[in-house]
Amino acid sequence: MSEINDLINKIVKEAGQQAPQSETTVPTRKVDNQAGHTKMTAADYPLFKKHPEMVNAPNGKNINEITIEAAINGQVKPEDLRIAPATLKAQGEIAESAGRGALKSNFDRAAELTAIPDERLLEMYGALRPYRSTKEELLAIANELENKYNAKITAGFVREAVEMYGIRKKFKGDN
Amino acid sequence: MVEVNEDLLRQIVKQVIAEAQEVDRKVDFRGSEVTEKPASTASKIGQPEATDAPLKLDWFKRTGIAKKGTTTDEVVIAVLPGFAEHMTENMTGLAHKEILRQTIAGIEEEGLKARVIKVYRTADVSFAGAEADGYSGSGVAIAIQSKGTTIIHQKDLEPLSNLELFPQAPVITPETYRAIGRNAARYAKGESPTPVPTVNDQMSRVQYQAKSALMHIKETKYVVIGKEPEEVELNFS
Amino acid sequence: MKRQKRVEELEKRPVHLDGFVDEWPEEGLIAMESPNDPKPSVRVENGKIVEMDGKTEAEFDLIDQFIAKHAVVTKDAEKVMAMDSLEIANKLVDPNVRREDIIPITTAMTPAKAADVISKLNFAEMIMASQKMRPRKTPATQAHVTNIRDNPVLLAADAADAALRGFPEQETTTAVARYAPLNAISIMVGAQTGRPGVITQCSVEEAMELNLGMRGFTAYAETISVYGTERVFTDGDDTPWSKGFLASCYASRGLKMRFTSGSGSEVMMGYAEGKSMLYLETRCIFITKGCGVQGLQNGAVSCIGIPGAVPSGIREVLGENLLCMMLDIECASGNDQAFSHSDIRRTERLLGQFIAGTDYISSGYSSVPNYDNTFAGSNTDATDYDDYYAMQRDLKINAGIIPAKEEDLIKVRNKAARALQAVFKALDLPVITDEEVEAATYAYTSKDMPERNMVEDMKAAQGILDRNITGVDIIKGLYEGGFQDIAETVLKLLQQRIAGDFLQTSAIFDKDWNVISAVNNGNDYHGPGTGYHIDDELWEKIKAIPMAINPSNV
Repeated sequence: MSEINDLINKIVKEAGQQAPQSETTVPTRKVDNQAGHTKMTAADYPLFKKHPEMVNAPNGKNINEITIEAAINGQVKPEDLRIAPATLKAQGEIAESAGRGALKSNFDRAAELTAIPDERLLEMYGALRPYRSTKEELLAIANELENKYNAKITAGFVREAVEMYGIRKKFKGDN
Repeated sequence: MVEVNEDLLRQIVKQVIAEAQEVDRKVDFRGSEVTEKPASTASKIGQPEATDAPLKLDWFKRTGIAKKGTTTDEVVIAVLPGFAEHMTENMTGLAHKEILRQTIAGIEEEGLKARVIKVYRTADVSFAGAEADGYSGSGVAIAIQSKGTTIIHQKDLEPLSNLELFPQAPVITPETYRAIGRNAARYAKGESPTPVPTVNDQMSRVQYQAKSALMHIKETKYVVIGKEPEEVELNFS
Repeated sequence: MKRQKRVEELEKRPVHLDGFVDEWPEEGLIAMESPNDPKPSVRVENGKIVEMDGKTEAEFDLIDQFIAKHAVVTKDAEKVMAMDSLEIANKLVDPNVRREDIIPITTAMTPAKAADVISKLNFAEMIMASQKMRPRKTPATQAHVTNIRDNPVLLAADAADAALRGFPEQETTTAVARYAPLNAISIMVGAQTGRPGVITQCSVEEAMELNLGMRGFTAYAETISVYGTERVFTDGDDTPWSKGFLASCYASRGLKMRFTSGSGSEVMMGYAEGKSMLYLETRCIFITKGCGVQGLQNGAVSCIGIPGAVPSGIREVLGENLLCMMLDIECASGNDQAFSHSDIRRTERLLGQFIAGTDYISSGYSSVPNYDNTFAGSNTDATDYDDYYAMQRDLKINAGIIPAKEEDLIKVRNKAARALQAVFKALDLPVITDEEVEAATYAYTSKDMPERNMVEDMKAAQGILDRNITGVDIIKGLYEGGFQDIAETVLKLLQQRIAGDFLQTSAIFDKDWNVISAVNNGNDYHGPGTGYHIDDELWEKIKAIPMAINPSNV
């Protein structure tokens, strides 16, 4: 996989040095940009400046609708101020094009976690800490991530933790 | 300026070196596993790394596995594995006996009872506090490391959170320990006391950090994985 | 013995109060090259690391497992591991070899190999290499803003003061943990008053820290600690997987985040497994990489007294900063803890990062006098500003801050205190009096502040959490209290979280909210005439130290 990434990076880099910044190729107001869109590169950065039309909260509200008047009139809710999975995917692509594949993997997990309510997310983090959970409890969280929130990458990450906690004795009662 | 007690420092270093040799620790790339292995055996209770016998003390006696408190008028003080029986004074030379005497007096001044336990699972002051919460009828506990670092903890807080933390052992005086006892008792009564004033001496860390590390290393040598806390009976007379 | 008088005099020097300890490899009291450090090795089968640094997969501990699975780029690993460490060290120092050609090598090494490469460099070579390898072209530095009474009014004024001096990031913490929401709000309001575009954080327990960020009280987090041995990692109440999950939690809320590690912490916490500080720190840096985190605060950090006490320790500290940069990670390079009684040694501590320039030369320059620093004091504090300014001017170095005029400082301190007064009023928090505003404007330390009722403040802090107050409420409070401009800038700060541009490596903002990161401001140093240069406008500011005499006035 990383071989392909490197190749892509190389091409992107070469392209970025000659081609002017492509600002018109991006579809506007597209909440999910996973399918068939032009990959973002370092040339598209910063997104806020270069592609404000595609920076929307998860509920579809555009970043430029967040004005001081709206805030004072009570028309800005906390959920309007959240980052959308599509934006995190785009930032991941930018990171990758700048040679930072690891950062992309984090943003990919983060894109999945945007759907989870704050409180539940804090609980899941707590459950992953050492000696907090049984194997079954952690596997249940992995299933919840996958089935309820469609967070497949993160579910895999948690299952990997379960395997390691088993080998290295980090489940509840192991201390 | 506090003066470094050089003799004490030398003593500690020598002692720890002697112990490290004594237990014939095989140094290899899997050092941690050597100490952790006992955890996976049937008994689930490990062995401390150090093998020196605890000091026999007339004022500090362990009397078996600690009980969980049922009355809300108590504050549990948890001391760490090396306390009193393997080290006898904190970083600045304040006797462990005096530390406990002051802390207990603070609790009693507020009309509550103090109960002392010794924890074994950890050398970390926060985790000791978190474990002790579960033994305290009021849910409030104080934990004290051998080097003197102290925490007030309450159940339902994350282990690494706290009600009050006194991370700079060199600036904790007998009066501070007493005030810590008082405040813990007041939390146990459901009050919101003003926190014990924090003293800040940025140079004390510079002076004591290495020594602090040595004392902490020594504390970890008495950690026993899986071992329940023990009740401690005190006699100050 | 009859004492020699000169020797007796020497013993009175401040350096004699510092702690120095002989090496003790068995307990990890050794900076680099412990006899117990593993020898570099790697074996890759079907794209998977099955042997690393002398251990087979079956022998891996939790940290080895994580690094093998997530941190080392396996494609080139065997090829890079076959390279001579000296050759890699050479590339790091040689200005003709560019950063972008080195990163593919350094990210395919194992921890033991990385430590081996660093050990080939002397201090001056480390400075050369850091100048080239730091991710962001423009250097910067970070401030601590705290006081021992957790006084919110003073926090706001001090944050404004630090912002005006040019710190693009500010960090607070609490003397009493329950104050966290108040402290976070106070420095956010203060910092935006001093200079729009500053981002702020509040260092507290992990879960609470994330909670504050979710509410919009902080924009980034830093004290997400990782450690180099499994035992110490779990004593820190985490595993590499829980930390990796936490990293993604932050990004999922549009919050910038970096990890914290630093040599000496494993010794401090008692389980160093006999390895050198550098080797253990190397593992922390690789964990950070594996978690996909953009940055790391390292360089011994709060444990500086440990490497500082052993031979070659301060060289090791710059070495671990460099290694962080070599893995293409933002580096906030320590210099954030009281280190020595000796002013000469304090300067020595700072020197490497100061000359090379890093993403944040200090990960906590105390913008308040150390008396009020609840991180237990920093290497440089508010009383060192003029020395620091003079050093920048003498050497023509941008080390992250600029001189500020007294009247401007008074102005922003006062405005920040009044803005916070308005916020407290709007949110129904304990009253901030005009007397407090006045005191905060002119204060030296928290001793100059009128007493506040701490119990009431703490209840109010809890109330902020219980009442679900968020950043939007603060914007409203500022606006309705007559501080429309600050309301506007706090709104801009919250907007940035929707766009996520500042989640990229080494991101900061200028006063117009333009993001400056390794993506659009990447370090391109490759010899004299390239890389970062101080522009004329900034140079004028750096030159204008308050104590300089204007010859035409003589």
